[in-house]
Amino acid sequence: MSKNHKAAPMVDEVSEFEVLELAVRELAIEKGLFTQEDHNAWTEYMHTLGPVPAARLVAKAWLDPEYKKLCIEDGPKASLEVGIDWVNQMPTKFGTPSDYCNLRVMADSPNVKHVVVCTLCSCYPRPILGQSPEWYRTPNYRRRLVRWPRQVLAEFGLQLSEEVEVRVVDSNQKTRYIVMPERPEGTEGWTEDQLTEIVTRDCLIGVALPKPGKTSNDKRYVRPAVNPYGH
Amino acid sequence: MSKPHYDLEHHAKKATGIGDPQCFKGEAGKAKFKVGDKVKVRDISDLFYTRTPMYTRGLEATVVRLVYESPPAEDEAWDNTENVEWMYSVLFKQKDLWPEYSDTFSQDTLETEIPEHGLEPA
Repeated sequence: MSKNHKAAPMVDEVSEFEVLELAVRELAIEKGLFTQEDHNAWTEYMHTLGPVPAARLVAKAWLDPEYKKLCIEDGPKASLEVGIDWVNQMPTKFGTPSDYCNLRVMADSPNVKHVVVCTLCSCYPRPILGQSPEWYRTPNYRRRLVRWPRQVLAEFGLQLSEEVEVRVVDSNQKTRYIVMPERPEGTEGWTEDQLTEIVTRDCLIGVALPKPGKTSNDKRYVRPAVNPYGH
Repeated sequence: MSKPHYDLEHHAKKATGIGDPQCFKGEAGKAKFKVGDKVKVRDISDLFYTRTPMYTRGLEATVVRLVYESPPAEDEAWDNTENVEWMYSVLFKQKDLWPEYSDTFSQDTLETEIPEHGLEPA
């Protein structure tokens, strides 16, 4: 790099969506639909969220068949036991158009493997799972998963046998979904804390399976650049 | 034309402390379909707004769960919460959705929610 080179910002403009969000937000505040304080409270709430409560829910259900039944029957009620109140924890106390208070826990069986997508936008059970990963929001994932689920799962490193029924769940209305995978072998006698560690976000979306020793989301394969920077 | 009479705060007030869709519980009346029923997705207008995916239109599915009661998104998008309906989780065969879907994996399925007015008996 030459001595005369001046460092320029990597991103020097905001996207059209960011401009739109700003404009709508400022209009809404001006019209009195909500205040700047409401907006701050919501933003701060969103930043407190993560996938740990959902992981604990799955771990608890692995250990307690009664609790597993409750998870399948009534997601919001089961969430209370892992500290998530779908209704009252949200600053609005009723949800928002994209955060309804209806969780369904999709329990895998040896013959059925669930995987979640939202083809319409990118609905995600944020109160219990935090912010969605970037790839979950991409048109690529949303368009292809419903139609070529096995191929897309294979890209995530998950190859499923012919005996397994792949069940794609399209989150198009007010229900938000998490996947409860099967408890993996090699976890006999584990505590709830130990089990919680292996239920990663990807397992809860359904694009990965829990495995002893694997405590973080898989690294995505990145094809090396043909002409890498500074070659 | 008369002025719209919807109370803009109504929905939020109603859902506060109860949750949405829980706040519509008991308002839809008797459900038209039950678990196990074969249904067909009606190909009705998607003008203005819909959340019924185009890829399901006109296709057969099985009701797997009566999930909750709610005004359909088509109404709610215009702040009309008067017509509360049952929402059904229905299961499609992937082979029915995508003709080219591999025969090897003919057991694969897709589950999604459709409001009652979007379904008819198959």
